[in-house]
Amino acid sequence: MSGDPMLRLDGLRKSYKGVRALRGLDLTVNDNEIFALLGPTGAGKSSTLLASAGLIELDAGKVHLAGRDVTDADPASRDVAIVFEGFNLLPVLNVKDNIAFALRSPAYREAEDEIARRVGRTAELLRIAHLLDRNVDTLSGGERQRVAIARALVRRPRLFLLDEPLSALDLKLREGLRAELRQIHRQYRSTMLYATHDYHGAIAIADRIGIIDGGQVQQSGTIDDIYALPANVTVGRLVGSPAMAFFEARVEDGHVTIRGAEQRLPLSGFGGIGRAGGDVLLGVWPEDIEIGAPDAPGASSGSIYAVDNRGFERAVQVETGGGSFRKVVPLTSGLERGDACSFRIPKDAGFLFDAASGQRISHQDRRPA
Amino acid sequence: MNPTRTSAMDRAGRWLVLGLLVAYTFYNVGPIVWLVLSSLKSRMDLFTMPPKIFFTPDLTGYQSVFGVGVAKDSAAAIGVFDSLINSIVVSVSGTALAVFFGTLAGYVCSRFNFIGKGDFMFFVLSTRMLPPVAVLVFYHLMFARLGLADTRFGLVLVSIFANVGLATWIMKGFFDGVPKEVEQIAVVNGYTRMYAFLRLVLPMVKGGIAATAGFCFIFAWNEFAFSSILTTTQAKTLPVKISAAAGSTGIEWTQICAAGVVLIVPVLIFFYLIRRHLLMGMTFGVLGRR
Repeated sequence: MSGDPMLRLDGLRKSYKGVRALRGLDLTVNDNEIFALLGPTGAGKSSTLLASAGLIELDAGKVHLAGRDVTDADPASRDVAIVFEGFNLLPVLNVKDNIAFALRSPAYREAEDEIARRVGRTAELLRIAHLLDRNVDTLSGGERQRVAIARALVRRPRLFLLDEPLSALDLKLREGLRAELRQIHRQYRSTMLYATHDYHGAIAIADRIGIIDGGQVQQSGTIDDIYALPANVTVGRLVGSPAMAFFEARVEDGHVTIRGAEQRLPLSGFGGIGRAGGDVLLGVWPEDIEIGAPDAPGASSGSIYAVDNRGFERAVQVETGGGSFRKVVPLTSGLERGDACSFRIPKDAGFLFDAASGQRISHQDRRPA
Repeated sequence: MNPTRTSAMDRAGRWLVLGLLVAYTFYNVGPIVWLVLSSLKSRMDLFTMPPKIFFTPDLTGYQSVFGVGVAKDSAAAIGVFDSLINSIVVSVSGTALAVFFGTLAGYVCSRFNFIGKGDFMFFVLSTRMLPPVAVLVFYHLMFARLGLADTRFGLVLVSIFANVGLATWIMKGFFDGVPKEVEQIAVVNGYTRMYAFLRLVLPMVKGGIAATAGFCFIFAWNEFAFSSILTTTQAKTLPVKISAAAGSTGIEWTQICAAGVVLIVPVLIFFYLIRRHLLMGMTFGVLGRR
């Protein structure tokens, strides 16, 4: 194995009729890893995948695949496979021929007995062997995506590009197929770039994740890295469930003051901020915030604005003077809509972000040693 | 509500619908039945009042239009056989070529962006807005200079021109209904774009091609204005021939009716041949994104 990453994207730019989809996107996917690209709709996920496959013409930037510059190379020569969210199966072919599709192409042709062997084995793996002679329009959504994954898998490509492959499926099916993808990955040591807008899906499947928004990768790393040191406000908003809590705050005489809140946090807990003071955003992972009875000593006051039942736990939305946040609490907490409460932020739990640019300005590193 | 009253109202509604359908069918089919019956009547029976429903079929009308049997060499026979062949040659080749070019152009307009695409699409559409009468004279002059007047080849050119715009627009609609992922899947899996177009996309729009061919064929078959001006003897098409069907003994009604039936039959045959694809195509691009 060479030291080169499997996929390296440098400064990709792409506009569609004046709308900028990719704005200088950089991304590295290592060999044998599942890399999840997590971002909202319109963030540039699909364009990133299409660019990696060579299916769109870039305005600028370089695509390197397995150490080779493929920016101008044909999609057919790149040896990647792609699975889309919706349309994947060619209606003019049956299931078997859809799976065997690549193996009959000029670029990846195999002998027919080899094709039959591989198609059979892949169909076994994805538990669709009983569907092989079916017409594709008789399949359910889950079966379709299995067939699509089988077609990608049967060729053993260098890189799998999965564009929200499970988003159209219901929750149970999605979790099942996700686990299977993980299993297949373990078995084949394949490299996957997996685009999704589903936070749980991303952290469940990925070795590393990249947070994408506005046509740029905002941060990439393991989920622990990102939790330990989120790069900016966008990352905070997209990571976590519920996402990071943000409070309007000010830096004054060595302390961080949250607007409308009693609690003051010493700046020493933030590892230095490289500037004197002024308006900032204080971001805290909801898991770190303590919610307690009203008027608890050393805490700030808020109120419960909404309560979501989640079965064995519930999510509450807390209104405060500096902003509102959501947090998961145990069922036993007894918090109800309209209740007064208090919240306390541990002194070294927060991150400070520039109020205007959204970039993180505090320098602490909370990575476990 | 009382169940018996519901069923009574139900029945009344049914009878109403049935009555409307019968009236509508009569309105549509009546003239054709009359035409077919008249074409089989003798000259005597044709003018009998009230019209005879039962009569001895007389094929002289058909013999006359084809110039065979007793009507052979008769001065009264208008003889439409040559024009029938002209019409078939012009309509079939005109339709085939218009659909061929329209399919290619429709695909390009559906899938690719090029400078002036919107203007191009409007220009293509505008070719169908033009009333033929406005340009007839100039066509006549051009065709005369180019030696295309009164030739089937010239009429085929006109037929392509008249239909390729329509074909382009309809086919663009059908191609728009084919997800672009089809081509993407093909090229990522090692096929060429051309393979994707010919072997994957085209089969998905074959209903659309049939529907487009149907439209173009009807227009080409019924085309009158250009054919009447641009032909004199050799290349006259059937509609033109029939409109001018007056023999030496006045207006030959039996012959005109027989020729009218001859005019209808090829259209029926054509639609019978493409009927299987038509139902699919008439739903206009509802391919379902699968």
